[in-house]
Amino acid sequence: MPALGAGCVCFPTTFLSQHKETTVQLPIQRRTTIRLVVAAAGLAISAMAMAQETIKVGLLLTYSGSSGVGGQLADHAIQLFQKKYGTTVAGKKIEFVKRDTTGPNPEVVKRLAQELIVREKVHVMIGPDFTPNVLAVAPLVTEGKVPTIQTGAATSGIVGERSPYFLRTFFSIPQLIRPLAEWAVKNDLKKTYVVVADYGPGHDSEAQFNKAYTALGGTIAGNSRVPVRNPEFSSYMQRIKDANPDAVLAFFPLGELVPQFLKAYANAGLKDTKIKLIGTADMTDEGLLDASGDTSLGVITSGPYSDAHDSPENKALVADFNAVASKIGRFNASAVAVWDALRLIYDGVAAQGNAKFDPDKFMAFTRGHSFDSPRGPVTIDKTTGDITQNIYIRRVERQDGVLKNVEMVTFPNVPAK
Amino acid sequence: MTSLLTILFNGLAYGLLLFVMAVGLSVTMGMMQFVNLAHISLSMLGGYVMVWAMDAAGVPFLVSLLLAFGACAAFSVLLERLVLRHFYGADDLTQVLLTLGLLFMSIASVAFIWGPAFKPVTVPSWLTGQFSLAGLQLERYRLFLLVAGGLLTLVLVFTLERTRFGAMVRACVDSRRAASGSGINTDGVFALTFALGSGLAGLGGAMSVNLLSLDPNFPLRYLVYVLIVVSVGGMGSITGSLLAACLIGVADVLGKYYLPELGGLFIYLLTVIVMLWRPQGLMGRAA
Amino acid sequence: MARMQISDYFAHQSRWGGWEYAFWLLWIVLFFVPDSNLVLLTQILIWGLFAMSLDVLLGYRGIPSLGHAAFFGIGAYSAGFLGKYGWTEPISGLLISALITGCAGLGMGRVVRGLHGVALLMVTLGLNMILFDFVQRSTDITGGDDGLQDIVIAPVLGMFRFDMYGKTAYVYVLVVVFIVTLLVRALVNSPFGLTLRGSRESTRRMIMLGAPVDRDVTLAFGVSAAIAGIAGALLAQTTQFVAPEMVAFTRSADVLVMLVIGGTAVLYGGYVGAAVFLVLRDVFAAMNPVYWYFWIGLLLVVIVALFRQGILPKLAEKWTRFREGR
Repeated sequence: MPALGAGCVCFPTTFLSQHKETTVQLPIQRRTTIRLVVAAAGLAISAMAMAQETIKVGLLLTYSGSSGVGGQLADHAIQLFQKKYGTTVAGKKIEFVKRDTTGPNPEVVKRLAQELIVREKVHVMIGPDFTPNVLAVAPLVTEGKVPTIQTGAATSGIVGERSPYFLRTFFSIPQLIRPLAEWAVKNDLKKTYVVVADYGPGHDSEAQFNKAYTALGGTIAGNSRVPVRNPEFSSYMQRIKDANPDAVLAFFPLGELVPQFLKAYANAGLKDTKIKLIGTADMTDEGLLDASGDTSLGVITSGPYSDAHDSPENKALVADFNAVASKIGRFNASAVAVWDALRLIYDGVAAQGNAKFDPDKFMAFTRGHSFDSPRGPVTIDKTTGDITQNIYIRRVERQDGVLKNVEMVTFPNVPAK
Repeated sequence: MTSLLTILFNGLAYGLLLFVMAVGLSVTMGMMQFVNLAHISLSMLGGYVMVWAMDAAGVPFLVSLLLAFGACAAFSVLLERLVLRHFYGADDLTQVLLTLGLLFMSIASVAFIWGPAFKPVTVPSWLTGQFSLAGLQLERYRLFLLVAGGLLTLVLVFTLERTRFGAMVRACVDSRRAASGSGINTDGVFALTFALGSGLAGLGGAMSVNLLSLDPNFPLRYLVYVLIVVSVGGMGSITGSLLAACLIGVADVLGKYYLPELGGLFIYLLTVIVMLWRPQGLMGRAA
Repeated sequence: MARMQISDYFAHQSRWGGWEYAFWLLWIVLFFVPDSNLVLLTQILIWGLFAMSLDVLLGYRGIPSLGHAAFFGIGAYSAGFLGKYGWTEPISGLLISALITGCAGLGMGRVVRGLHGVALLMVTLGLNMILFDFVQRSTDITGGDDGLQDIVIAPVLGMFRFDMYGKTAYVYVLVVVFIVTLLVRALVNSPFGLTLRGSRESTRRMIMLGAPVDRDVTLAFGVSAAIAGIAGALLAQTTQFVAPEMVAFTRSADVLVMLVIGGTAVLYGGYVGAAVFLVLRDVFAAMNPVYWYFWIGLLLVVIVALFRQGILPKLAEKWTRFREGR
């Protein structure tokens, strides 16, 4: 951008000097004045051009620490998206400003959001991930009028309920739990043992499942809350064995607890029984599947996205992504959330044409907007800005030597609440 | 009753795992008065070396465990000669901060070399699944941990009690000055003990990753447990570490089975209570 | 003659150095510099206050604590609960939070006062972890990981609302930090402060002198906790948000690192350390978001190796040598 301004200044003056020999020599003061005026005009023009030509997108994601993979996957997703759809929309350049949240860290994230909004003057934000971060930035986003697309927090009621400028392209816990409960009852799993991580979202899932499952006629065989900092699962496995249920519902945050749980489950011999292990998408997220290995075979989960989803758009995307990012990880639900956030931004900016970016018009456009995502058809809810999408019941199978979430049943257009 | 026995078995196996990881630190802290938080980074390194050896070089499981031991021992010698040696006389806080810095560096370095994602760990089939013993269904890998940990303990105790080197180590732990005064090459003993302790950390790490999962943030997750074993057991005491590790392993597992509302608090409660009751640790020497 | 010498001594100790004036003036000037990152500066002040509270224990009394975040968290949650359940006036909320945390500190001091070395570290660490675990699991009371919601803090003095730009927060925090620092300054330069430092050097001799060493430790804990509680309450009030990570062990470790970087027992070391740590963390994270841990670790190693007393004492030492060399 400064280069553009400098260019506007240099060009007129060089033009003048090139024509020195063929035109009348102006007096020195006159020449200087003309140069100054032209320079000023050039700067003004380029400044106006700058104001019109860039849309700054703030990226507030986790790039380091135990959840750092998410941010790095997002980077690759963005690069791929821009390679496919270009870096400009309606003549405006899309620029990114990155800030690392370092995980669930509301104090730091609030300050970073303030920096992005007040100092960097971003027009739109993608993120933050983790519910505490989202809640911390809600008042800022409202006061600063910055449309913010949540791509990594699954608690229900944190979108439009918290700010009129929030949108979500991720998923919500009840959105996954209700179809799962329905599927369980329909498939004769009458008694379920519920084991969740002992923190907010875990309690949330437990409560939601208890409500939905018992309402449909199922019985809860038992409940366990596992400490989040937990290396030892054997006691919980023993309790599951003692309860002898038809199914085990497991909810753990995306992280080290998932492969540990799956491995402990297999080692305890529970995989060889008739008990079905069911859970939400985090249990078989593509980022953890390979680490879990064979212990994840046969696990049934409900989720919005599988990289084995059978659509030509998804197949091409996954192939392209793996070509550049396989060392970091596979394309998963978080990555597709970022992909769709970009889709929303590009569509929203394109809809405003050449006019200056208007956040309220952007929100009006995106709320109620439907489009085709690599995961399937998606709609942004008109009142809450939350996401309505297909939820698939998948089972982990090995296809062509790779572990995949193979979709079995589809629950179409499940609302987020 | 079978549940209780199974739980005890699981707890002991877990405890022995903690012991192998922590014993090196206990001896180092007791003997050299050197607080080395980076000890847990060596466990992580051991895990990565084992996984790399098995995946990339096709080395069998038991051999890769030995490889982990050797690689960590060798690396620790380098670390000691280059960095740690200069801080032996420094106060506790300095050592804590120094080794904490090294721990951070280790996390980022490992993420750089092996990537930030979790590493899948596979063990040979004769170690997976369960087997029956006296009507109990026990995990094979935990039995392996019990056996291997038990053997290591016997070797360590034998070395310490019956060999000349062991006597020298004990002398240095009791009083470095006196030991040096009676002609023992304390520097050499230190260096060798440090290397062995670090090797054990690596071995423990390699043995643990099948149970505990492996990624660059391994040190941050398990540092606290190792510190607890060392302080509750008493610095410098191998039997103390063994006792503390088994106690913690069993207490943790029992607590989670019978009192799940307390959950992970049990270990910390136990630590606070023991430290208040016996500040020098269960088998530590009173100040 | 002796009596005059004693009061002279204390007067001399409490004399304001030129650097102190410059320090506070700098903070005032920074408010008026256009485009300065007021939010970052406010956080530096809060962390600096927190580090200074640890300094009272560690620097002046020689008691290391690996669980100081417990007090920060108690202060933060107290202020949060007050704001959530209707007591929205900030200044009185601040005082109440300080009182609650101070009592907790007195309790903790009473429990750990016989301990030393590793045992002390492990008990403080253990208690911190227990509190953190409790806060994180009790989603009904504390909101758990999602934090305390709907905290309302009324405008300061009825006039200054906490806005998005962070102006009110900055001034509010600066004034509180200034007042508390003055109080701590008076404390460490008082006979009580001298007693603390004496106990730090040699507890046995202090006992022989008849000083109530045990009671002093409990008091030191109480004071240190109250100040940490003020820092926590300030954060809760200026951000209208409280989360379990304010009680986390990482916060205890971070503040310890900051204090040691800046320098213990020099009163302002905490602020210097906080500034260096936070600014560098941002710089490193911006440079390389994925591997910045490496640079932080390296920085720690370098600081420990080269500036062991801390940045501030090292600078002060260089300055006196420079002055003497003239």
